Amino acid sequence: MAVSTASPTSNLILRLRRFAQAFERPLFAIVLAMVAGGIVIMITTPGSPVDRFNEALAAYQALLSGAFGNAQNFSFTLTTMTPLILAGLSVAIAFRAGLFNIGAAGQLAMGAMTTGIIGLEASHWPGWLLIPTMLIGGTLAGAVWGGIVGLLKAWRGAHEVVTTIMLNWTAFYFTDFLINGPFAAAHATNQTNQLPPQGTLPHIADFYNSTLGTFLPKIDQPAQYLVDVGLFFALAALVVYWFIVSRTTFGYEVRVLGQNPKAARYAGIPIKRNIFAVMAIAGAFSGLAGALQLMGQFPFQLIANTFYLQPTGFDAIGVALLGRTTAIGVLLASLLFGGLRQGGTIMQLNANVPGDLAYIIQALVLFSIASEFLPAIQRALPKGLMSRRPPLVPAAIGATVTDLPAKDNASVEDGAKRAEMQKADAVEGGAAQSLPTGESSSSSSSRIEED
Amino acid sequence: MFLQVLFRVLPSSDLWQSTLQFAALLLLPALGGVISERSGVVNIAMEGMMLTGAYAGVMTTLATHNVIIGVAGAMIAGGLMALVHAIVSINFKANQIVSGIAINIAALGLTNYLLFIQTGGQGVPSLKDALRLPNLAWGPLANIPFIGRVLFQQNIIFYVAVLILLGIQFLLFRTNIGLRIRAVGEHPQAADTAGVNVRLIRYLCVIGSGLLSGLAGAFLALGIAGIFNSNMTAGFGFIALAAMIFGKYTPWGTAGACIIFGLGQALSVRMQDSGISASLLSTLPYILTIIALVGLVGRTTPPAADGIPYEPGTE
Repeated sequence: MAVSTASPTSNLILRLRRFAQAFERPLFAIVLAMVAGGIVIMITTPGSPVDRFNEALAAYQALLSGAFGNAQNFSFTLTTMTPLILAGLSVAIAFRAGLFNIGAAGQLAMGAMTTGIIGLEASHWPGWLLIPTMLIGGTLAGAVWGGIVGLLKAWRGAHEVVTTIMLNWTAFYFTDFLINGPFAAAHATNQTNQLPPQGTLPHIADFYNSTLGTFLPKIDQPAQYLVDVGLFFALAALVVYWFIVSRTTFGYEVRVLGQNPKAARYAGIPIKRNIFAVMAIAGAFSGLAGALQLMGQFPFQLIANTFYLQPTGFDAIGVALLGRTTAIGVLLASLLFGGLRQGGTIMQLNANVPGDLAYIIQALVLFSIASEFLPAIQRALPKGLMSRRPPLVPAAIGATVTDLPAKDNASVEDGAKRAEMQKADAVEGGAAQSLPTGESSSSSSSRIEED
Repeated sequence: MFLQVLFRVLPSSDLWQSTLQFAALLLLPALGGVISERSGVVNIAMEGMMLTGAYAGVMTTLATHNVIIGVAGAMIAGGLMALVHAIVSINFKANQIVSGIAINIAALGLTNYLLFIQTGGQGVPSLKDALRLPNLAWGPLANIPFIGRVLFQQNIIFYVAVLILLGIQFLLFRTNIGLRIRAVGEHPQAADTAGVNVRLIRYLCVIGSGLLSGLAGAFLALGIAGIFNSNMTAGFGFIALAAMIFGKYTPWGTAGACIIFGLGQALSVRMQDSGISASLLSTLPYILTIIALVGLVGRTTPPAADGIPYEPGTE
């Protein structure tokens, strides 16, 4: 784009327009999902069409006020946001490298488990030592769980979508085993003891009252504002993410890897090491999410059979996609998803519309983003109105055939072409071809004859 | 201690009866995955399709008092979810993994939502025996010691699953259509040039996977449990996914994997007094699948065009 020749004002306008364009498709997805969700409500409530419409309106009103209506509800929303931001970053950084991390749920579970074990085993430690140890322990456990995926991908070509799904369920059952077995509470089944008080995170309101509040006005009834200082860690993680991705050599290499693995290879970027590092960092974000959730939120103990029911790991994918894998986008998207989750509970109480509607809306957001409904509509419009931009989610990301990460901005169409190119490379004996694409395509094409 | 219990449990015919029952439950969605992925469409949504099928199966059975219609309803519901996956990933060329995840989330949300609307959060009553899928007893065959219990006293869907296994093996490797399915999954451009309708084949295969997953949901809800509970599939769809990969995308291999994973399930139910935790046993299918993926027991390779939307006119 010829930005350099433009005057400062038109440059600003251009930047503003690009900023607006960045919101166009995510916003469209949200609106579409909300409308469809409203239709679901209208179908499932009795009465005349007008009654049904009013019911849907009342439900959304309850949803909105339940999420953002007053300071207390908003503090609940912020509480659900903390793990969402971190898990969202976990998925986002993997996306940047062209990797699909659907293992946030398992990494989060391992992080929470390790945090809990440290908290229970070192319960006599003072808080200033215990809290950092727990946070670091949880983060590292997540990093290990994510790092395994990176290792298997980089050195054995095992597809990360499959390994993360398998590791998720391994983590769910393994944590159940630990919670029911070695770390079970003495007089209860299915749960561990509570963390020691000095190993939990204070609420922001209490924290404020005991620090700044000593000379500034205090917050009344701080106990009703549930959000804990974990939120600050999540916000800090957003800055760290932005810094890693946009301001470090590593982040640059990761982006090249994600957008054009061939270019990365020719530029001598260490692909294997970066795949491993990205997955370890992704796991670390999720592990920290698990740690903060356990340390900051009631009941401050691990309970069996809960991790696989927790939607955070899958919400994170929506957060990363809706937020276009940018730090600010992840922040806004997790505010939305956290609000949906929190508002859904209030909606169920006040409007008697099941809070599970939040799941339906989230699924519709995912469909809408992945299907590129807006560009599809734009294509159907006259040529002048058409704007062709690369898809938000390249179809080939995570496609099982591309052992090397897919090009991020490649149009969907040349997915197959790319596979062919990679095969050709392998045949040429490209020395840097690190992953066995050639082997896999040739063996699978020969399978037709064998069978 | 563990080995003692293991040796006590292993010869029991009940263990192997429930092993095969779980194997059939896993086999149906896993075979659905096989045909879908063989045609080049990644399907990680078996879990959601099963759950929808289970819900629809119970609801139609309760409404019509006819379990056959209930099974049909389950399959149609699974098929409809699959249709969404097909439209989104074939026509709109969406990322098939995102679409699969969305299907799973949507299935969970939709079934819970409707369950709440219908029962006010009370849950549905369990089905009377007459409205459940029956266990068959094959006359004198059922009285053979051990084998009779294991093979000839199974639920009706078990036998259906065996027939479907044979049918899909035959379809994929002995018929023209099967050759087309595999060609579309390996090299859609070549298949298109040869006059194969790539989209149609993919549509049929994805919908087929939904029908089979819906049937598995019916088996779970109408046959095994006799009730619908929120999120009752609890990961079976993902074990089926694992079985498909462990079985290297072939019907026989998948069936073998389903028996191994089914044994794991049956053991985890029966070995609670062994000192080894059921949860720990439950991790086995997933760990085995990772080991298979890594290539320690023969490498698994998906079809070459798996997950890539087809665009006519590309190389």
